[in-house]
Amino acid sequence: MHILGVNMPDHKLVRHTLTYFFGIGKHTSARICARMHVHDKCKVKDLTSQQVTALTAFLNAPSSAPLPAHAPLAGVNYRPSAVGKPLNAISQPSRAPEDYKDPLKNLRIESDLKREIRENILHHRLIGSYIGRRHALQLPVRGQNTQSNMKTAKRLNRIERVLEPRKNKRF
Amino acid sequence: MSALASVQRARQNVLMTSLPGSHGVGQKRLNSSKWRWVPPEWNKDPNKELKKKLKDSQLKGGSSPSLQAVPVGDGQGSNRPKVPPRFHTLPPVQLKHPLFQSENRPDLHLAPFQPDLVKPISLNKALQFESGHRTLLTAYGVPRNILHEFRILSKPCSLVREVTLSTTKWLDGAATQPSSAKRAVITGQLGSGKSYLLLQAVEYARKKGYLVLYIPRSLRLVDSSSAYVYDPRTRTYLQPEFSAELLKRFRDVNLQAFEELLTSEDVIISGRRMIPKGTTLAELVRNGTRQEVDAPVVLSALVKELQLQSKYPVVLAIDDFQSLYSQSKYRDARFNTLKAYHLSLPRLLLEFASGRQKFQSGAVLGALTTANSEFRVPLELQEALGLTPDVPSGPYIRRKPELVEYAKGLQNIALPSQMSIAEAAALYELWGKEKVLNDAPTDQTFLRLYTESAGNPRDFVWKGVMGSFST
Repeated sequence: MHILGVNMPDHKLVRHTLTYFFGIGKHTSARICARMHVHDKCKVKDLTSQQVTALTAFLNAPSSAPLPAHAPLAGVNYRPSAVGKPLNAISQPSRAPEDYKDPLKNLRIESDLKREIRENILHHRLIGSYIGRRHALQLPVRGQNTQSNMKTAKRLNRIERVLEPRKNKRF
Repeated sequence: MSALASVQRARQNVLMTSLPGSHGVGQKRLNSSKWRWVPPEWNKDPNKELKKKLKDSQLKGGSSPSLQAVPVGDGQGSNRPKVPPRFHTLPPVQLKHPLFQSENRPDLHLAPFQPDLVKPISLNKALQFESGHRTLLTAYGVPRNILHEFRILSKPCSLVREVTLSTTKWLDGAATQPSSAKRAVITGQLGSGKSYLLLQAVEYARKKGYLVLYIPRSLRLVDSSSAYVYDPRTRTYLQPEFSAELLKRFRDVNLQAFEELLTSEDVIISGRRMIPKGTTLAELVRNGTRQEVDAPVVLSALVKELQLQSKYPVVLAIDDFQSLYSQSKYRDARFNTLKAYHLSLPRLLLEFASGRQKFQSGAVLGALTTANSEFRVPLELQEALGLTPDVPSGPYIRRKPELVEYAKGLQNIALPSQMSIAEAAALYELWGKEKVLNDAPTDQTFLRLYTESAGNPRDFVWKGVMGSFST
């Protein structure tokens, strides 16, 4: 299956294949699976069409995805209404909806994230900061020893990042 | 040129050099065809590497051709790992070694596990479980440890112990008492035979004509291995896949009773479909499992019908009982952990285990599993069963009121930490007949194995009897 151009093999776990997206690691992947009610052992081929649609819509625009609705949970003495009858009234949640800070609201993936990284490095260069100068000279930026890290820095620390990632690696 | 103009010029140069395809002033023209900043090792010539390796081996002084360095891989310079050749199994005709002659094992000739044979006269004797179509073993399955042993044994069987007789006697009372008065949990040390005892009790109940709902691996209910969906009506998370499987297995084992009993009211399922009153329970299950989304509703309706009937006692047996009292691995949409009683199926089991709901006649029997460190027995359950807590249990430790409520009134069937000499001897004889022992069975070997395992049944079999191969 392909979602937003990323191949997700059918036989693999959804939780793992979501990490194939640039900008999604295992923790973000777990949160996305919980948001879509995808269990841990779910494989890509087991996803329902609604889940695939919801996942695609979310990954397309994470910032504009609606907040998860408040789902009250039954206490020990809760008695549900009969099937086909109106639902029991839901009491107001103890926390207001706007109090919930969604960790996935500012999620950026793929080209949006790459653009943001490029812009950040360019900003440093434009303001003439130390970080910008080190990027321009292709030297270590974060205080590493140049004797041992110069070759890695030569490869990675540029004003313009690598456009095509290496196989199975992001940089 | 003013200072400002020079700074602006410099900034422009930087912008021009940083943009792709740009040609900076005074800088070497960048070749756009090579505009792909890749590490140098990507442009290695594979043949060059091969030649270098051969040259290195020659410089080191190659001696005989057998010691000559050969490049790894297919000679094309690729670093693909070598795939081992595919092994083909020998045809059975060529397997002449006695080790492969499993069909020539002597037939055990064990009596079947039936209520009329589970008497003191059968003490320390092995009785065989029924296996076949629509039997307990094939429909529900067994716990993993028992499955491994059944694969080695020529027939699925178990030993009748003192606790077996006492538990079956306890189950005899289930026919005349409501299930709320017959709620017990089997406890004991690791490997003391809890799951085996539960399996024996379930088989006994089934042969006596009770309706049996057996869940051998209830850890699968809470370990996030099946789909879950929120239901606003019950305010719990339904597990349609697991419910559908359980319904089918419940029907397969108790088919005769399900074809006799009728529903007492209409059952409304999804899409405004209705299963009318007077339908057999077998038909109810068949209609309800056509689509998995209907399974939780049908399961609730089925259980309700079983509560109303009084013809058949109903036994609810749950292995890995502590998983019902633990936090599950499921998360809600806001990434909060769900407790087991927030899931529909564990909640249903807890309602009966706590006595809040009951069958008119029947029992609820559980067995703890002490081997799993992710789902441990919580303090509330330990205190309800009278066990010595292995977690902090002072007065300042908070007990969750929900778990205290769900664990109220549970009885404890405690297994002894070690089996008796007679039981161990019977087990030794049984495995000896299976030709598992490498040496001839002797009293000395038996006593050595019994002492080394301290009488623990699992250690006696797996580390003692099975570990008797000389190296």
